[in-house]
Amino acid sequence: MSNLRLVPLIVERDIRILFSDTFLIGIMFANFGIDLFVTAATFGRLIPQSVLHENYFLYIAPGSNFVTAMVAAFQSGRDVWREKYIKDLASYLLTLPAPRRVLALSRIAGGVARSVIATFPGTLVISYLYGILLDPRVFAAFLIVGLFSLGIVGLSISLSAFASSIEVFVTVRSAIQLYLSFLSTLFYRTDVFPSFLVPIVVSNPMTWAVEAFRSLPHAQGLIGPISVLVIPSLVFAALGMASYLWYARL
Amino acid sequence: MSSSPTPGNASNSPTQASGPASPILQIALRDISVLFRTPWIIISRSLAFIIQLFVFAFLISELVVIPGRPSSYFFEYYAVGSVVGTIASISFIIGYDIFEEAEEGVLDYLLTLPVSRRQFIIGRALGGAIRAMIYIIPMFVIVAVLEHFNNPASLAAAVLDLFLLAFGVTGLSITVAVSVRSANRFDVVLALLELAVSRASTALYPIAFMPSYVAAVAPFSPVSFAADSTRSALTDVTLNFPSLLGLVAFVVIFLGLGSAFYFRKLEGGVYA
Repeated sequence: MSNLRLVPLIVERDIRILFSDTFLIGIMFANFGIDLFVTAATFGRLIPQSVLHENYFLYIAPGSNFVTAMVAAFQSGRDVWREKYIKDLASYLLTLPAPRRVLALSRIAGGVARSVIATFPGTLVISYLYGILLDPRVFAAFLIVGLFSLGIVGLSISLSAFASSIEVFVTVRSAIQLYLSFLSTLFYRTDVFPSFLVPIVVSNPMTWAVEAFRSLPHAQGLIGPISVLVIPSLVFAALGMASYLWYARL
Repeated sequence: MSSSPTPGNASNSPTQASGPASPILQIALRDISVLFRTPWIIISRSLAFIIQLFVFAFLISELVVIPGRPSSYFFEYYAVGSVVGTIASISFIIGYDIFEEAEEGVLDYLLTLPVSRRQFIIGRALGGAIRAMIYIIPMFVIVAVLEHFNNPASLAAAVLDLFLLAFGVTGLSITVAVSVRSANRFDVVLALLELAVSRASTALYPIAFMPSYVAAVAPFSPVSFAADSTRSALTDVTLNFPSLLGLVAFVVIFLGLGSAFYFRKLEGGVYA
């Protein structure tokens, strides 16, 4: 139990790293702004309401926030990679009085916290657009972003454990980001895809996350939209934790 | 990644400049070989282009409605724009190389080469632009075949537009690489710049559909200059002089700025 008291300290360290350069958080929000107010706004005008039977700008708006969450979550994996290969900090971290499982768990929790902080303004903006800003469902919105981030942090830490060079890390990260963005329902509904792509699309965590967010304005309870993300996110987080433990063998 | 010898040094023969162009060419050739020795970058950018064109553009064009245009119009529009956007993206990579060289100490080695600073900087910019062109040609060919572009003069004009954009973006990337000190910050600034010049441009969507605040700045994006000029050359078989002039101005400004900043970094403010 006393070991678990170390978790907030390690999470705090990760959050401090994020805030060590507040400029970075500003840039991430700028990225979100470009995605939402430039790309999504323009596509919203290119695709009339009659085609999708809904406002396309609102349809893709949550995607802009999840893309930011994905970038922030991958940044955690990149930091773990840099600690080992560039800063040579891994051995120092392992000398800390925290058992490795606690350390691994805390790094994942830290990554999620960073991602939720980085997307905090974005989640508020999208919640406002969805009319749930002053409603208890706004907590569900943050929970969805947090669960999605949990899965992606797990993935990115796994990647950082196995990527021997930054080029490999960046390439695999790009491939995962392409899969999450373009082979999901972020931009279009499942029925637009050719049938052979449908299984890939419906098993995409981004699909679950954006669909959960889109269902919030009509949701009666908070459990329904969130439940679909819980198991896959925990599985990815467990993968990340196992990879971190493997990586921590030095 | 960046720690590769110049071709002359690789063969253990002393590299002496036989003419004024030779050292520039050698520096450029080194940058080209660096890119092709790191296939990961080529793989990831190619994958992004293929998915954007054959998944995103293909599916989204089914939904896009542009009055008075056939349904295939948006796909054709987007395809040309994605080539322009991709060359801008690949041209930014030279900045990563320069940043990494400074971090790893390879820059010190490069500065001991028998090449003047001026030749060194021009060679870096030229190498960045040429390697982006080599990289983009297969994608350009795919789009040309898909859209039946076969007029040699149009194709040549389009290639010139792409080269000018690559040359200018290389200068911009060098400027950022030598101005930003933190690795994380550099990564994110470059990604934001890449996103801003590509998204707030006419490469991916017509200006008529942009919100007014984007439409006001989009015409001044270098990617817009290149996209408009390339489309005029390929689809209307004409030269779009205003866009071409904008592109040349972009190249002159950012190549000049990139060179000035790089000089300052190398020589502590002494312009050699």
